[in-house]
Parts: sequence; structure tokens; C-alpha cells
Amino acid sequence: MRTSPAGYLIALAGVALVALVTHAALPHLGLASAALLFLLPVLAASVRVGTGPALVAAAGGALAFNFLLLPPRFTFRIDGFDHVVSVAVFLAVALVTSRLAAELRAREAEANARAAANAEQAEFAALLSGDTADVLTRALAWIAARYGTARLIDRNALPAEDPVLSSLDLSAAGWALQGAEAAGHGSDTMPASDWSFLPFAPGHPGGSGLVAVARPMSGTTRRAEEMTQLQALARLIGQARDRLALADERQSRERLEDRDALRRTLLAAMAHDFRTPLTVLAGEVAALDGDPAAKDRTLAQVHRLGATMDDLVGAARIEGGALDPQIEAVDLIDCIDAACDRLASALAAHQVERTLPADLPLVAADPVLLTHILVNLIGNAARHARARIAIAASPEDGSIQLHVDDDGVGIADDLQGRLFDRFARGAGSDREGGSGLGLAIVKGFADAMALTVSAGAAPGGGARFTLALPQRQVTVA
Amino acid sequence: MTRVLVVDDEAAILRLVAAVLERGGFGAVPAATARAALAEVEHAVPDAAIIDLGLPDMDGIELIAALRQRMTGPLIVLTARDATSDKIATLDLGADDYVTKPFDGDELLARLRAALRRAGRAIAVDGVLRHGALAIDPARHDLRLGGKQVALTPREFAVMEVLIGAGGRLVTHADLLRRVWGPAHVGDSDYLRVVVRALRLKLEADPSAPTLIRNEPGIGYRLGEV
Repeated sequence: MRTSPAGYLIALAGVALVALVTHAALPHLGLASAALLFLLPVLAASVRVGTGPALVAAAGGALAFNFLLLPPRFTFRIDGFDHVVSVAVFLAVALVTSRLAAELRAREAEANARAAANAEQAEFAALLSGDTADVLTRALAWIAARYGTARLIDRNALPAEDPVLSSLDLSAAGWALQGAEAAGHGSDTMPASDWSFLPFAPGHPGGSGLVAVARPMSGTTRRAEEMTQLQALARLIGQARDRLALADERQSRERLEDRDALRRTLLAAMAHDFRTPLTVLAGEVAALDGDPAAKDRTLAQVHRLGATMDDLVGAARIEGGALDPQIEAVDLIDCIDAACDRLASALAAHQVERTLPADLPLVAADPVLLTHILVNLIGNAARHARARIAIAASPEDGSIQLHVDDDGVGIADDLQGRLFDRFARGAGSDREGGSGLGLAIVKGFADAMALTVSAGAAPGGGARFTLALPQRQVTVA
Repeated sequence: MTRVLVVDDEAAILRLVAAVLERGGFGAVPAATARAALAEVEHAVPDAAIIDLGLPDMDGIELIAALRQRMTGPLIVLTARDATSDKIATLDLGADDYVTKPFDGDELLARLRAALRRAGRAIAVDGVLRHGALAIDPARHDLRLGGKQVALTPREFAVMEVLIGAGGRLVTHADLLRRVWGPAHVGDSDYLRVVVRALRLKLEADPSAPTLIRNEPGIGYRLGEV
């Protein structure tokens, strides 16, 4: 530590003062006490001013003691062995005490610095404790006010070029991120950089980013203690950022869940509110007296309304992402059977052929969604078939191909490309009784389960819809 | 006359179901709330109940549990809900069957008659359970179809024992898995598919169009009506 010339002057003034006092009071003091008094300026200088002035005070004190007090007085000669010992002991005590005092001083300064650094970190942590994103901005402003302009650099957003950071700065930043240790100005790595780069998580490669702090405006070099302190602050910023990111993620997830829950509730309420009157309507019509043919026609329309409603709910579920497929091992026979059951009245007038090998492998699908797909495909076939519907499944190239064929007029060329679009209908097919959503739902549900569905021509004319399903390997315990 | 408790908060449905029941030769006991339903169970002592799940004063699923404690006759759930989980919950709580709205009057009557038949079935005195042409003797590990013995593996036999024991009632996948494979396997529906496939090959006339072991996708298995 450097001491100003004033320190030396003060130390010498102290020695002169003691010399004056002891010179005047020697007859009353005695030599030993006088020598002790000369230690006072040494102690005072080493505690208050510095080691240099203390040494000067010790030397000055020794000379003054010798010259003024030690007989023969007013000469620098030392007579007698005991006087030599006196001066030597005085010098030794003065040197040791000044050393000890200087050490004490250094300790105290160190403790003060540490307390200051801790207080600074505590203040900084308090600053970062908020839950809003602007705490980071405030923290950077805080650093800028004390250390130099600061900015955050995200691990994934390290720019290739930057208006402020030179290519040397950027490579130092890259190094700090890679090596998870401080780099740039004030560090051992690329100290020529104009910025200090302090990673969020030193020692943990893969941290999410770093804090960059510009070198001090004064042009001086950043000291090691400052670097340590900045590293501590960078760590706090990293923790705050992780916490904020987590809170953010939680909040957006909750928002999403709320929205999904609301949509599900609405869909369920809508389905309920449609189905109840439809049930009453169908029941009342069935109980009416009168022309049975007219009654059947009315009932068919009521059922069509119900099917349209189901399709609308299905479309809303696809649209809202409310499908949550539960993929499990499914026996296609089960789903085909359930679909045919549900379509019993629509299929009554047709001949339905099933070709399902006894050793047909199980498939991986959501059984409820798959059944809904089959209801729509077989229902569609029933609307277009003249007399015959064929349902066949077989393993092919590691997957299961399920065909639903009808013997109708087939798919018109102009419809081919947009068959699975919503409200796509063949010319004049308005009387066919579909909602125009059925095949769009087939596509939407198939997409949700990662199945592919396609349309083409059946071997004997008519339309063929094909669903490709992944085979499910099962071992039974 | 067989009395059937009908619980629904929609007056129109209540009237409709009552009319359907009368047409089928049943006596209807209407209740518009869960509280009224529980009172009627004590008062009118119905033989069966048809319950809507969306009631204003109690969750329908809770009502099923409460009714199951108070009456032994079949409980049939009327539901406009799509959620498979709701259907499974009602079945696990003791409902015998469910009918989805919009339903057909004749379908409802058929389900009701089947449920009543099952409930009235005499409990086997000789230890042999029967369902149509099926007869199972669990003690002797013996299953017969039309009098002819069918060789089954222990798992296949256990599944048939549960299904015949339920007498045509829908048994959820989880329930079957728990009773045949143990509680650790309630999620392993793969096991069930494989065993049912094997059973159909042994028991069905046409395994690709099964009439004996029927499946409700995502819910469970039942034996077909005989």
C-alpha cells in the first residue's frame, strides 16, 4: 500500500514531539520509561498511517533516543554494552510491533471489504427477489452504476456479430460459456477484451448464460476482488433468471390447462344440451300414432341431427386440441364390431362382408377414437353403397391396412384432393345425409393418433378408404 | 308389477322414459332430484333404477354409490356425457349398464329386461354358473359350450369365470385385469386383448364377428345376450 509523504511527516512530527517531552522530563522519567515513550509514535504510525511511516518513526525514534537521552548525550556515540542493548531492543520492539500492527490493519481492512461485499450481495439479492421480469433490468442498472455497463447474454443467443462487442469480446464470451469460468477483462483468459464475462454457473458447463460487464471507465484494470464480487452477482442473476423462467413456464401451463378445462366443460355441456331434446324428440315421434313410413322418415332425420351434433363436437375437439389419445393394444375386431353395432339401422339394408384373418395382429391406437373413425368411414360407405360394403384388414409391410370399400359410384376426380377437408361434398350429394364433417373428423382423429388415412378406388369400382395402423407387439405374462 | 325408479331432472325425459316403461309393462317411479330418488328407494322399494348423471343436487356418480348401498336391483345409467372415464366410474361403482343419449326406447327396454333377468337369475346350487350355452364349474376348472368341454389355459378360464359370473353385465378392463392378473396389472390391457382373442378362437362360431364375448371400446367386455 502506498502512503503519501504527509504520512512520513506526521510520523516524524510524532517522534519530534516525544523527543521534546522526554528531553524536558528526563530527570523524572529515567531512561527505560523514555525509551518506551518512543514506541508510541511507531505504534500510532503503524496502526493509523502505514508500515513505511512506522519504520521511519522507529528509526527516527532510535536516533533521537541515542542523540538526546543516551549518555553521552548530544552525540551519536553509544558507550557501554547495556546502552547498545537498549537501542537494539528498542529497535527490535519497534519493528515487531509495527509489523503486528500493520497486519492487524490489513485484517481489519480485509474484514471491512468482505462485509461491504456481503452487504452489496445482500442488497443485490433483495433487488432480484421480485417476480417480474424487470428485476433483471434493475439488477443490470445497479451493476452499471457501480462497476460498468452490464448486459445479459443468453447461451443460445450469443450473437455472431454485435454493434458493441468486438470479435475478441465475442470469443471471450464464447469461452466463458464453454469453460464455465470468467473470461475477458480482469481474468486470465483474453484479458485484452474490453468486457468481463461472468457465467451464471461457474464450474457447471451448460449454464444458461452470462453477465458481461464493461471495463471501468477510468481505464484502470479490474481487480481480482472486484471480479470475485461480480462473479457472485452474476451467480445471483443466473438464479433469479432460472426462477423467473420457471415461474413463467408454470403460469403459462396453468393458463393453458384452464383454457382446456373450460373447453372440455363447454363441449360436454353442448353435447348434453343437444342430446336431451333429441332424445325427447325421438321418443315422442316413436310414440306417435300414424303412418309408420312417415314416422321412420322423421326418426331418420332426428338421428341425422344427432350424428351431425356428434360430428360438430368431434370437430370442436380436433380444433381445440382437446383430443388426448390413449394409445393401447387394440383388437380391430372389437372396434369394427362396435362401429357396426352403432350403425345397425344404417347397415340393415346392406350386405356387410368382413374379411379379418384370425391371426390379425393387434394394433396400437386409442380404441374410442378408432371406433369413431370406423363409425364415420362405415357410415360414409353405407350412404354411398348400392348393396355391398366390404371391411377387410391384413398385415402389409409391418403395418395393418384396413380397407372400407363400397360399391357406389366412387370418388369424383374433382373431390379427390379435398375429400378430407371440412364440408367437402360431391356434386349433388346433399341428399346423402352426411354432415360434411365426417371425413374431416376421420382425418383429424387419425392425425391425432399418427395414423394415415387415404382414399382411392375399390377393386370392383366404388370408393375405398384405407387406414394404416401400426402393429402392436405384445408379450403376455 | 316391476317398479322402476327413474331419476332425471329434465321433466321431458322423465315423462318420456315413464311412457317407454309403461309401454314395456313396467311401473315408473319418477324422481327429479337425488334427494327424491333416495326417498323413493325407501318408500316405493323399486326393483330397478334408470339414472341420469347430470343432477342438480348431487353428482350422478355419487348417487350411483348411494343407491347401490340401498338397493340390490339393477342400476342403468342414462348419459349424455362422452367421457369414457365417467362411464367406467359408474360401472366400477356398481351400475349394471349405461345407455347413451339419444337413445331408442326399445333399446332401453331391452337393456332393462336383460339386467333384470341377470339379477333374477338363480344362484347355481351345484356350483355351476350358466350363461346361455355356456356352463362353467370353477371348482373343477371345467367350461362347457353346448355340453362340450373346451380346453382353456388358466388365464382364459379366469377371464371366462369373471365374465360368466357377471352374467352379461359389462365388466371394465381394469376390473378384469385386477381380478385375473392382480392389482399391479390394471393398466396392461394388452394381456386382456391376447387372451380374449384366444378365447374367441375357441368359443365363437365366427371369431371375426363375435357374438359371445363383446367389447365396448375403451370400457370393457360383456357376454352377449342369449
